[in-house]
Amino acid sequence: MFSIVPYAGPRSGHGWPAPADGYSTEAAQASMERALAQFELADELGFDWVTVAEHHYSPASLTPNPMVMAAAVAQRVKRAKIALLGSNIPIQNPVRVAEEFAMLDTLTGGRLVAGMLRGTSNEYATYGINPSESRERFMEALELIVRAWTEPQPFGWLGRYYEYRTISIWPRPVQAPHPPIFMSISSPEAAEFAAAKRINGGLAVTTLDRARESVRVYRQAAGTHGWEPSPEQILYRIAVHVAADDAQARDDWAPIAAAQAHSGGLGLSRANPAADDAATRAGYYGRDTPRQRSRLHAGGDIDERIETAQLMLGSPESVLGQAARLRRELGVGILELIFIAPSSDQARRSLELFGTDVLPRMREL
Amino acid sequence: MSFAERFVEADGFEIRYLEAGNGPPLVCFHGAGGPRIGRAHELLAASHRVIAFEIPGFGGSPANERSSSLRELAQTMLRAVEEIGIERFSLWGISIGGKLALWLAVQDPDRLDALVLAAPAAIITNPRPLPPPEQLLSMVHAHPERRLDTAPVAPEVDAKQRALVGRVIGPPRDAELEDLMSRLEVPTLVLFGTEDRLTPPELGRHYREILPSCHFLIVYDAAHAVYDDRPEAFAAIVADFVERRAEFVMRRESGLLYP
Repeated sequence: MFSIVPYAGPRSGHGWPAPADGYSTEAAQASMERALAQFELADELGFDWVTVAEHHYSPASLTPNPMVMAAAVAQRVKRAKIALLGSNIPIQNPVRVAEEFAMLDTLTGGRLVAGMLRGTSNEYATYGINPSESRERFMEALELIVRAWTEPQPFGWLGRYYEYRTISIWPRPVQAPHPPIFMSISSPEAAEFAAAKRINGGLAVTTLDRARESVRVYRQAAGTHGWEPSPEQILYRIAVHVAADDAQARDDWAPIAAAQAHSGGLGLSRANPAADDAATRAGYYGRDTPRQRSRLHAGGDIDERIETAQLMLGSPESVLGQAARLRRELGVGILELIFIAPSSDQARRSLELFGTDVLPRMREL
Repeated sequence: MSFAERFVEADGFEIRYLEAGNGPPLVCFHGAGGPRIGRAHELLAASHRVIAFEIPGFGGSPANERSSSLRELAQTMLRAVEEIGIERFSLWGISIGGKLALWLAVQDPDRLDALVLAAPAAIITNPRPLPPPEQLLSMVHAHPERRLDTAPVAPEVDAKQRALVGRVIGPPRDAELEDLMSRLEVPTLVLFGTEDRLTPPELGRHYREILPSCHFLIVYDAAHAVYDDRPEAFAAIVADFVERRAEFVMRRESGLLYP
């Protein structure tokens, strides 16, 4: 179960970075508490893991540092794994990322899932990192983080983007040799890199056809490197809403569909078109730019969103069928679910219904 | 930067060396492939008097059938440095040249200011035969295009060098050398590349465990020839280390953007 930890409260401005006019400290605290309660409930219902992410300067997400949120989650979630997807490693200090992940793995007794992502294009304006260097920074930072986790002796790092004269992190990760890593495999460059390094693959903000192509590239590249990803090594993130029957679920979802149609469904990347255009020109999206950028505009009405696997919606039976389709067509073994509903009460009921009526049967897929 | 070719006599060997630059002397021992000037040598010559030896039995020199061990060869090389008129110096050894440099260091530590070991072959935990010449280039370099001198080693030279290496290299784990290393106080920088398949970077931890004053550095995107694959990075870090030694962990560059 994934929560971006959205801010639910009054605000005046839009765009990115979002101004804090009208910001309510009480609403922000309540938003965080709501997310923590949701994670706790997911844990009690038997979900395998809960996930936080990194986004900056926006009410879309109150977790600019997912490490801090994960440490709070670790106090409430006692059984499920705690995933971070990600840390946006190209804009961070990779040694700090390795240290914080190791702290979390220790705090959770080895329940950390260490996602490493590049972030959305706007993220590169946050700390002033050139988006044209995003992919190279990502590859180097990932290798450095793994080395910092696993090298028993103090060492220095003479990189292309990073240089440290001496590194020896404490605490060390609990999981051996290190926590599982997930990275995005949406772009062909990322899929090929993940396959070469035997890193688990994640798919988010995508559609069935696009994901099918990403998985094809990932599997093919893994084959050339002599391995085959198991279902547990491929993750698909998707919005979900479950109700007693299909009609109820649709009624519940109608206001969200209307809001999405109104906003055009644009995410953080297009909240600042100039920043995204600049990142695009800098080569941020890579050799498959049109298809990668088109993921941000997929959208559609309820039926299209279900059909293209942007949304699972309906009765427990219907949602189970939609999950089965993803397993069958993509071979994904991990569904990372975002429970979206007009009210927090509806979201909680949806989560409970999923936990009791869908989750046990999903394990048999 | 052009290197001048010179000769010096030691232990009856006529030893060729290439020299460039002014400043504190930095003596270089090459690897099993023989002597070669790379971009890193040139960059280091901007701040140091770089002396790159052709070890007797390598390159254009006659076959060396006299030196019986690296320990003995290290004595010959020290005499060559003395003949040039250098009392104290920093020493940079590459691969098997790193093992030769260690043998010099443990026998005559007082002559050294600092020791730099680039992908040294002094501790080998998973011994494998040296690949044939046609495979060596691609195995040794992550970026063969960055190598200055791309001329392949002639077959007869390769055979001569391999015979010498095979005779003097010693065991993959040399208990006597490692015992001497455990008492070596000379500040030592050990570098391994992340892409090194001949001496993988995991070997670095052994040097860090054994040597009392060792700094272990992992060079990203470099293979066995770390100095050829990342010459700018290699030269910068080596120049800083031989100047400041253990203090090099503290950066000196200003982070100030604007006054």
